[in-house]
Amino acid sequence: MRGLLLSLGAVVLAFIAAPLLIVVPMSFSSAASLEFPPPGWTTAYYGAFFGDARWTQPTINSILIALAVAVLTMAMVTPATFALVRHRFAGKSAVNLLLMLPLAVPHIVIAIGYYAYLSDLRLLQTFPGVILAHTALSVPMAFLVLSASLKGFDRSLERAAMSLGASPAATFRHVTLPVLWPGFAAAALFAFIQSFDETVVALFVSGRDSMTLPRKMFDSIRTTADPVIAVVSTLLFFTVAALVILPMLWRSFSRSRS
Amino acid sequence: MSAPYLELRGLGKSYDGRTRALDNVSLTAAKGEFITFLGPSGSGKTTTLMLVAGFESASEGDILIEGRSIGRVPPHKRGIGVVFQNYALFPHRAAAENVAFPLLMRKMPKAQAMAKAAEMLGLVGLERFGGRYPREMSGGQQQRVALARALVFDPALLLLDEPLGALDKNLREQMQIEIKAVQRRLGVTTIFVTHDQSEAMAMSDRIVVFDGGRIQQVGAPLDIYRYPSSSFVARFVGDSNILAARLTDPAGGQAEIAGIGTVRVPALPAARAGDAIELLLRPECLKPGSGLDNAARLTVDVIVHFGDSALVTGHAGGTPLRARLEGLAAQGISAGDTLPLSWATSSSHVIGRDAAG
Repeated sequence: MRGLLLSLGAVVLAFIAAPLLIVVPMSFSSAASLEFPPPGWTTAYYGAFFGDARWTQPTINSILIALAVAVLTMAMVTPATFALVRHRFAGKSAVNLLLMLPLAVPHIVIAIGYYAYLSDLRLLQTFPGVILAHTALSVPMAFLVLSASLKGFDRSLERAAMSLGASPAATFRHVTLPVLWPGFAAAALFAFIQSFDETVVALFVSGRDSMTLPRKMFDSIRTTADPVIAVVSTLLFFTVAALVILPMLWRSFSRSRS
Repeated sequence: MSAPYLELRGLGKSYDGRTRALDNVSLTAAKGEFITFLGPSGSGKTTTLMLVAGFESASEGDILIEGRSIGRVPPHKRGIGVVFQNYALFPHRAAAENVAFPLLMRKMPKAQAMAKAAEMLGLVGLERFGGRYPREMSGGQQQRVALARALVFDPALLLLDEPLGALDKNLREQMQIEIKAVQRRLGVTTIFVTHDQSEAMAMSDRIVVFDGGRIQQVGAPLDIYRYPSSSFVARFVGDSNILAARLTDPAGGQAEIAGIGTVRVPALPAARAGDAIELLLRPECLKPGSGLDNAARLTVDVIVHFGDSALVTGHAGGTPLRARLEGLAAQGISAGDTLPLSWATSSSHVIGRDAAG
């Protein structure tokens, strides 16, 4: 029974992990197109990726867009979260629902909506257009993460700070923000990653000058099935994994140190 | 007596505009006084503290310190030190930084603030713990840091909101003594909130008993214990027998209790014969034997030995009665025994009447 369960677990794990990891050997493949198993080994495609502006430019675009999305998302989500978690007001549940809506609506529907909307605003295929659309998608996740950590925040810390002479602004700067810092960081990280690997909306609203990396990959696989895609996938995979795993490692390290 | 240092004037608080969490709370305190707010949860004691601290605003009434209203002053400008039940130490700052925080908020230079914080930590016996983070300290140590932090800026008032609730019994008693010593040494006017009556008895100059959003009684601990103004106070502070009696001779001090018979009570010249009264008899005032003014025969239902004392529960006639006897005197008593008990008239109290009658 135990052996059966173990092997079942192994199969499930392999099923989930294999597609994630298969891109790694493919990125070192010497084949002229994507194929597995690789006929031989080379790092030439890594050189091709880093030396080709058609790849590096979308990478830089993606990073810039994701950074802007993280900043804009936090600027909007922070006050919204404090208002929704800490205050009662008329229409609160409607606002809550509205914030979560992008999570419920299919991406393709949002993409079409933004396509029409941004073209009216003449923002189609521009950086601000992509940033706006991605921010809308990032808001629910960032809100969920931040409100979870805000709900767990002990308000007597703020009361203590105020009784000790800290103005509301000083209380936020010296107590609320430093204590909630991991929550803020996680929310911003989710916003960044969400934008960085978003594809569907980017296909519709990003253009030649504002092309994001996932869109470039999509275009590329339709035309050439170039193994550079495997290189990009490998790099993306490790970057995102590092962004998610490093804070966890750092936290358990600083906990074991104390 | 000079003008009061602290005055609460007709404080009221309602959260929904209809039900009153707090109703007409008025109180004065002298400088340096240690006052305890005692009451069950929801009695209004913590609400009153929150109003004084400024975390919530009163629906009615005002708060004055040295004659000046602070009712509209925001909490960070009140200069009132607060110690919270869960300590509320800043987890991202070491103990000394926590204590220095109020000084830094007052624009004191950092070196000077850290020196004063170290001095204050010394006063609470933590001179070597300045570099520790709250999570690295025990509950009692965190509590001392919180106390040092609330006192370091010479607050106009010190408020303590059930600060010992999370500590175990021995530590709690030790902290009671330490808090009291530091408070006396600094002479800071203090309000201490608790639902633990023994804590209130042990620490306070005066106790304010709260119930249902109102002040029930204000007085020195022993006065409250001996002369409670209501059966609620009598039951809440200390263990009690509250006996229903009927006055037969008010001026002469005689009353009738079902199952016990005629007893002497403190004289009540203003009352009338036939009035129903409640007679408070503390269990430790009942002595074995029949040597005192009034006698009763107790049929024992349960006896619990604590070593230094024993609690005997039973009834006299149909009237339930509890007696706390000295440990040795209670040896050999068992359930079903009939025990002669007696009490001095002066140790009893007619609830709701003045001590003088």
